[in-house]
Amino acid sequence: MKTFLSLLSFTALLSWTAPALSAVNVFACEPEWGALASEIGGDRVSIYTATTALQDHHKVQARPSLIAHARVADLVVCSGAELEVGWMPVVIGQSGNNKINVGKPGNLEAANYVPLQEVPTLLDRSLGDVHPRGNPHIQWGPQNIQLVADELAKRLTYIDPPGKAYYESRLASFTQRWAAATKRWEQEAASLKGVAVIEHHKELTYLFDWLGMPVVGALEPKPGVEPTSSHLSALVEQQKSNPAKLIVITTQKNPEAAQWLSGQIKVPEIALPATVGGTPGAKDLFSMYDDAINRLLAAEKPKS
Amino acid sequence: MFKPNMMVCVIALALLPAAARAQQTNQQLEEIRKQIQEMKDSYDTRIQALEKQLKEAEEAAAKAQTAATQAQSAAGQAKQSAESATQATGLRPPASPSAFNPGLSLILMGGYYNSDQDPRTRTVTGFLGSDEYGLPDRGFDLGETELQISANVDHLFYGQATFAIEDGAISAEEAFFQTTAIGYGLTVKGGRFFSSIGYFNSVHNHAWDFQDPALVQKAFLGDNFGLDGVQVSWIAPLSAVYIEVGGEGGKPVEFPFPDSFNNKNGFQVGTLFAHLGGDIGASSSYRFGVWGMTAENGLTNIDQPIPALDFTNTTNTLTGGSDNLWGLDFVYKWAPNGDPSYQNFKFVAEWMHRSLNGTLTSGANTGPFIASQSGWYVQGVYQFHPYWRVGLRYDQMNEGSYDLGTGLGGAPGLTPPDFTPRRWSAMVDWSPSEFSRFRLQFQQDKSQQGLTDNQVFLQYIFSLGTHGAHKF
Repeated sequence: MKTFLSLLSFTALLSWTAPALSAVNVFACEPEWGALASEIGGDRVSIYTATTALQDHHKVQARPSLIAHARVADLVVCSGAELEVGWMPVVIGQSGNNKINVGKPGNLEAANYVPLQEVPTLLDRSLGDVHPRGNPHIQWGPQNIQLVADELAKRLTYIDPPGKAYYESRLASFTQRWAAATKRWEQEAASLKGVAVIEHHKELTYLFDWLGMPVVGALEPKPGVEPTSSHLSALVEQQKSNPAKLIVITTQKNPEAAQWLSGQIKVPEIALPATVGGTPGAKDLFSMYDDAINRLLAAEKPKS
Repeated sequence: MFKPNMMVCVIALALLPAAARAQQTNQQLEEIRKQIQEMKDSYDTRIQALEKQLKEAEEAAAKAQTAATQAQSAAGQAKQSAESATQATGLRPPASPSAFNPGLSLILMGGYYNSDQDPRTRTVTGFLGSDEYGLPDRGFDLGETELQISANVDHLFYGQATFAIEDGAISAEEAFFQTTAIGYGLTVKGGRFFSSIGYFNSVHNHAWDFQDPALVQKAFLGDNFGLDGVQVSWIAPLSAVYIEVGGEGGKPVEFPFPDSFNNKNGFQVGTLFAHLGGDIGASSSYRFGVWGMTAENGLTNIDQPIPALDFTNTTNTLTGGSDNLWGLDFVYKWAPNGDPSYQNFKFVAEWMHRSLNGTLTSGANTGPFIASQSGWYVQGVYQFHPYWRVGLRYDQMNEGSYDLGTGLGGAPGLTPPDFTPRRWSAMVDWSPSEFSRFRLQFQQDKSQQGLTDNQVFLQYIFSLGTHGAHKF
């Protein structure tokens, strides 16, 4: 018991001092926002990323560790648009941290600052797990990332005013590099334009929209509903009239359905990172886009 | 005279700085061009974004207009499209005319119950009050319909109410306000709420892993122990480990016995609880809890006896005194890489101890009485496939000891029964979405001396409305 207590007080001491070294404690709901906070916040922020690329971000549990990290957060950065509706309200509510309540400067919902796609005109649960405000998987639109970066710099400046110049210069640098990279990706991916795909879940919508890749089907019969054999058979039928050239899923998903369909319709299936950390190559926002585009290009090229 | 070569050299030397300067200027120009290009690129990106927003706004607005011209039934849809038009313009906080309405969620629950023994006469032998927390009626039964309403009240408070609707009665299971703005990890709750003691106590029945609560929960605390009062809780400012401590005080609701009522001022129940939790690697997490509570038995002030205790066919009546409990709870969850979508496992164990004291009247004898009893359960629930879970639970109660004071020593039938109540439960459930669940549960209940009660539950749970967020 004594050793346990001393261990406890030791960890307590550690965690009490650790956040104090940085000006701003950032709680990132998803890895892409952790990566973006690192781009803009640099050494002035200490980042805790609540989830990984291998988790379904709709279905995260409000674990004690998340509440503990939310307790000490100065800024929470989430995708928003109800992506985290099943867990963040509990995490914020139980943390007793008034800085991160919805509507406070310490609560940044990225989806509030970008134009959302697929805003449903009909809200009915028979249509699956639809998000009333639109598709929340915004990390695959380069413009979205830029828009969120702009807002993130504002929030960091608000929370940590002495860092104003630092955040501004890092934002300027990021903006420059991001614009150049976006242009490069668009050139590299030019051959992907018009390549029809079948997706798993609507989590790469912004990527396909940006690269001009038409989505002709989804493995999920309804958003949030796992593939069924009858639905997969329908996709095989559909291939005759409305063929796809690629089946694209993310590494978070079980590949069985995609592999089965790939075997049936003789079209390659590939897995992209769902976000930063989804593949060994996707180490930050830049390499995540690089990795995805390289994987798409490699799969799309006919094997010689 | 200079040699021509020399001359060239000199001229070259003289010109060199100028050339270098020219090159420098060129470099600067190049730099500036590059910067302009980059700025242009950056602005292009933003202009594209704005153009896209504009286009989407126009499209959505057009959609709204089309919808508006449609029949009356389309009016709702038009409103939504108009909202999405507003939405598509981006760079604004989320807004909708109905956003100020509270979140509404309706739980539909019911099913079928089959048992060997009459549920209306079942008790847990040796445990006072256990006869009052009954099993469902046999055959088809609607059970409880639950309506939950919640919203932020203002910038300082959050409010939530859960009403249980059963035949002929609507009861407020919970109706409380909670602070949102104190900070420092402090939260204050007031009104009627389920106590934060234990693990399953604060969990509403639609979120249980089995159809019914554990035996010890049922015998000592009822389905959920709630109180009308105040709760204060505090989360330690540690990111490395989750530590919560808190306490509650007020008047217990239906406790220790369903018809308990205490006609007096002040606090009639107090609790203290502490939780410690965290992650073990990427795939596992846990929470450990310890709690204690003390409650007055009540009823004395209105001269009403506390319900009967039936040890061995002798009717006894308890008056006054208090009910003191403490317990330990542990929950462990596992999911590969922290992703519960395909597979996950949940383990829960709780142990509780109750010391019940008062004045016991047994036949012609009356005297002070203390019963020290305990119970525990362990359960595991495994999701082996998306939508499918199986679970196993084992319950056991310990009759403990009775401390009989003078006056009761010779009372007949007061010897604790030589019996250990036990129960095994197994369940399988299917949840095609987060909003629906069907459950089949088999139970062999040997909690009443001399009886084996084989029970079968078939249950449905549907959730309509607001997408709820569940606690760990």
